[in-house]
Amino acid sequence: MMTRVVHAVLAVAAVGLSAAAVSIFPRSILAFLLFQGSLLFVYLARIPGWLRLGLFGLALLVLMPLIGFVNGYYLEVATQVGIFVALALGLNIVVGLAGLLDLGYVAFFAVGAYSWAIVGSPHANLIFGGSGFPLPAWTFYAFLLVGLVVAAATGVLLGLPVLRLRGDYLAIVTLGFGEVIRVLANNLDKPINLTNGPRGITPISRPPTAFGVPYSEYFYFLVLAIVVVVVLANRRLEDSHVGRAWEAIREDELAAQAMGVPLVRMKLLAFACGASFAGVMGVVFSAKQVFINPESFTFLESIGVLAMVILGGMGSIPGAVLGATVVTVLNLQVLKGLSLWLNELKNAGVTVLGFSLADLPTQFEPAKYERMIFGVILVLMMILRPQGILPARRRQRELA
Amino acid sequence: MDFELLVGILPQVLIDGIILGFMYALIALGYTMVYGVLEFINFAHSEIFIVGAFVGVEILLGLKAAGLLEALPWPLLLLIVVLAGMTVSGLLAVAIERAAYRPLRGAPRLIPLISAIGVSFFLQDVIRLVESIWRNAFNLVYPTIDALNERFEITTTIDVSVKSLVVIAGALLMLWVLHALVNRTKVGTAIRAVAEDQAAASLMGIDVNRIIALTFLIGGAMGGAAGVLFGVQYGLINPYTGFVPGLKAFTAAVLGGIGNIPGAMIGGIVLGLLEAFAASYLSLLTGGAFGAEYKDIFAFSMLILILIFRPKGLLGEIVRERA
Amino acid sequence: MTALFEARGVTKRFGGLTAVSGVDFVLAGGIASIIGPNGAGKTTLFNVFTGLYEPDAGTVTFRGRSLGGLRPDQITALGICRTFQNIRLFGNMTAAENVLVGMHARVPLSLWDVLSRGPRFRRVESRLWTRAAELLERVGLRGAGNEVARNLPYGDQRRLEIARALASEPTLLLLDEPTAGMTQAEAATLMALLRSLVADLGLAVLLIEHNMRVVMGVSDRVTVLDHGEKIAEGHPQEVQANPRVIEAYLGRGWAGRARSHRADGQ
Repeated sequence: MMTRVVHAVLAVAAVGLSAAAVSIFPRSILAFLLFQGSLLFVYLARIPGWLRLGLFGLALLVLMPLIGFVNGYYLEVATQVGIFVALALGLNIVVGLAGLLDLGYVAFFAVGAYSWAIVGSPHANLIFGGSGFPLPAWTFYAFLLVGLVVAAATGVLLGLPVLRLRGDYLAIVTLGFGEVIRVLANNLDKPINLTNGPRGITPISRPPTAFGVPYSEYFYFLVLAIVVVVVLANRRLEDSHVGRAWEAIREDELAAQAMGVPLVRMKLLAFACGASFAGVMGVVFSAKQVFINPESFTFLESIGVLAMVILGGMGSIPGAVLGATVVTVLNLQVLKGLSLWLNELKNAGVTVLGFSLADLPTQFEPAKYERMIFGVILVLMMILRPQGILPARRRQRELA
Repeated sequence: MDFELLVGILPQVLIDGIILGFMYALIALGYTMVYGVLEFINFAHSEIFIVGAFVGVEILLGLKAAGLLEALPWPLLLLIVVLAGMTVSGLLAVAIERAAYRPLRGAPRLIPLISAIGVSFFLQDVIRLVESIWRNAFNLVYPTIDALNERFEITTTIDVSVKSLVVIAGALLMLWVLHALVNRTKVGTAIRAVAEDQAAASLMGIDVNRIIALTFLIGGAMGGAAGVLFGVQYGLINPYTGFVPGLKAFTAAVLGGIGNIPGAMIGGIVLGLLEAFAASYLSLLTGGAFGAEYKDIFAFSMLILILIFRPKGLLGEIVRERA
Repeated sequence: MTALFEARGVTKRFGGLTAVSGVDFVLAGGIASIIGPNGAGKTTLFNVFTGLYEPDAGTVTFRGRSLGGLRPDQITALGICRTFQNIRLFGNMTAAENVLVGMHARVPLSLWDVLSRGPRFRRVESRLWTRAAELLERVGLRGAGNEVARNLPYGDQRRLEIARALASEPTLLLLDEPTAGMTQAEAATLMALLRSLVADLGLAVLLIEHNMRVVMGVSDRVTVLDHGEKIAEGHPQEVQANPRVIEAYLGRGWAGRARSHRADGQ
């Protein structure tokens, strides 16, 4: 009893104090990290469900936007985190639940993004002629569904030929497919200009907002809403015969088939579901960024999402959320912060052990070392803790 | 369609294809040997390959700075850089196996594969880091060795650079040495035994760990040699250059039959020729609609098609007996 | 009247090796056993029956319907389910979840039902979990539902496999060496379970077994395979005395001795 009270007090204090810290020290990355850490604490603490939900709601719906007023970049980070949480949850279905190693997952993200980019900008006039495009901005909402369907269809098309391949070959084929999509995006500016090649597509329309809310806040809430839906969908899928069939396929697909699980159909379903989340977020991404080009959809991004799922825990929803948050924050804040900090030290003429930091080669920028981060995460997790930081917990049920 | 033009460029296309093919064959050997012994795709092999290229460029740049580049005869220069590249890459491969793969030996297939992907990414940025600090640049250019760039006339219309001939000769030599090693020596027999049945091989007294390390050493050395030759042939390298040739070489290994060493050689050459043809003729045949940029898609599509329709490859795969 | 299950002339080759050759097998009901020395082709036959292998020759029909070309999951949906010689449970899932997977072919829910989680979903899921508990209880695993499958003791794992196979509501149950590694007591419990399954659920059961006590004690009929061919079939006692069967197990020279041994002993 006492522990629960202590935990509750600590949870509320953590959230409140860290939020206050951020408002007092808006430039301090550490304060923002503490705020995020407090949310992790709220998740893990032994507090009643209503308090947990309430604190999350408070933090995400009220405190975060307030922090956004104090430092707009943090809101941007939070929005990016949200986008990658949805992607990680999608990949979690494919890799974590069904056990299919998809190394080209970013292709579905790209398909969704380009689907809105093409018609939501004047670019489509180049394809279809005339000046009917861009479509009215409110059609963005319809395109959330279109992006979902298009990505899911792409998932099925990809899945049909490749799903009978064994694990490592499946991985390589999906990698090849992801690369094909990227090169196509880069080169389909002739004979018909579908993607405008490396120049990318811009300007992409944004949907009208309600009550004149500024776009940074608007996209934050939109992403948050979609993430909530994605999490709900994931939980429902996981705790159903569909999720159990996927896990059985991952465990032993021969036995699963012998028990009546139709392998191809279930694997296609996994691909389609995973792809659909990426497709929806792709549409949001292109509207938010106003400009997209093939550079955002490379193998690096696919591996980044994989690293998120692996770090957090394969097959685990809270794991995917944690993994996405940690990796995105690492890239957008920690690495970038290191770069900035290093520059400040250089400018201040600081020396370390007699070696002046200003003499460090200009090419050395910590912000660019995402690959090293992903690489280290993947190797260390596989060797030390393959089940992830927040492993999937077996469902315990009251049996009659 | 200008038939004369198509035929006219044919010899050059063939030569380009063969050079490319031998390069792919050398890299493919690393993939196929490791797959034969461990049933595992060594994703990091593309970086082992490019490390060789970096070793080569560093040595040549160092010699150039010391003013020795012109002084030494080019065969000696090449020998030095190729041997250096082979050594470093080979040892790197062994180190990677020990650190990132051996702890995962019993685990389900996907776990070491994910680890290999991690190693690949890690190495790319390590190379970048080292070169950024050492040279403040990581897009490096191989210094030209004039003797190598001289062109050699085969007929009145076809000529080829000394460089290309050297690359082809070097690759052939190494392939021959490897073939002899694997088929005529005791060590080679041990490797083939471990590839076929690890448990039985160990019962016969073969130190499986040592043989696996040796396989990585040889495969890595081949990759490193390919890296140096790649740098000599194409000139420009950066830490991320290994990825695409690596993937294509893996395609070549599968095309020839994974685990099958002659298969990797054949697969490499076939793929190199196909790619050279695609690069040169695609634009001409489609009226400019699809040009040489699509040659990468061509190789990737080949990969997808082979894995789906003929995963055993041309010569048949050689993988472990499944219990 | 067509029998429940009929296999005619089933032949299966692997490269140069003929694993099963021209085997006829008919089952109307009750418990039948297939026995034979190692390598006789018993598990291969099972694999053909359940769709894991396509036969090179011969037909397999179930309730008058040909099983040729059907996938294993389709065959399970028709009413045939099996266990495996080496236990193939879903190790990281709980016992209850293992059983639930077995029900997959019988779940009447659509993707939309799952996503919307309406009353229909709740009703069906609740029924599934209740049935899982019942099946676990029937095989003697009451209370073990929340245990992770790979942590269960060996005998329990074997019984869990049976519960999982029962989950698909089969009419014909194929058990591949269900008592392997069991003690006498456990095997006896299993025999009782099999008899109750036939009596209560009207199942037909086909066993591959090496434990002769079980075979004799529970089978209505025994079929003997040797080197891929059927060499004897009939009541357990008949088969036991069959000289060809004795020869297959013990080698030539024993058949005569067994006959004279019995003549003296009886």
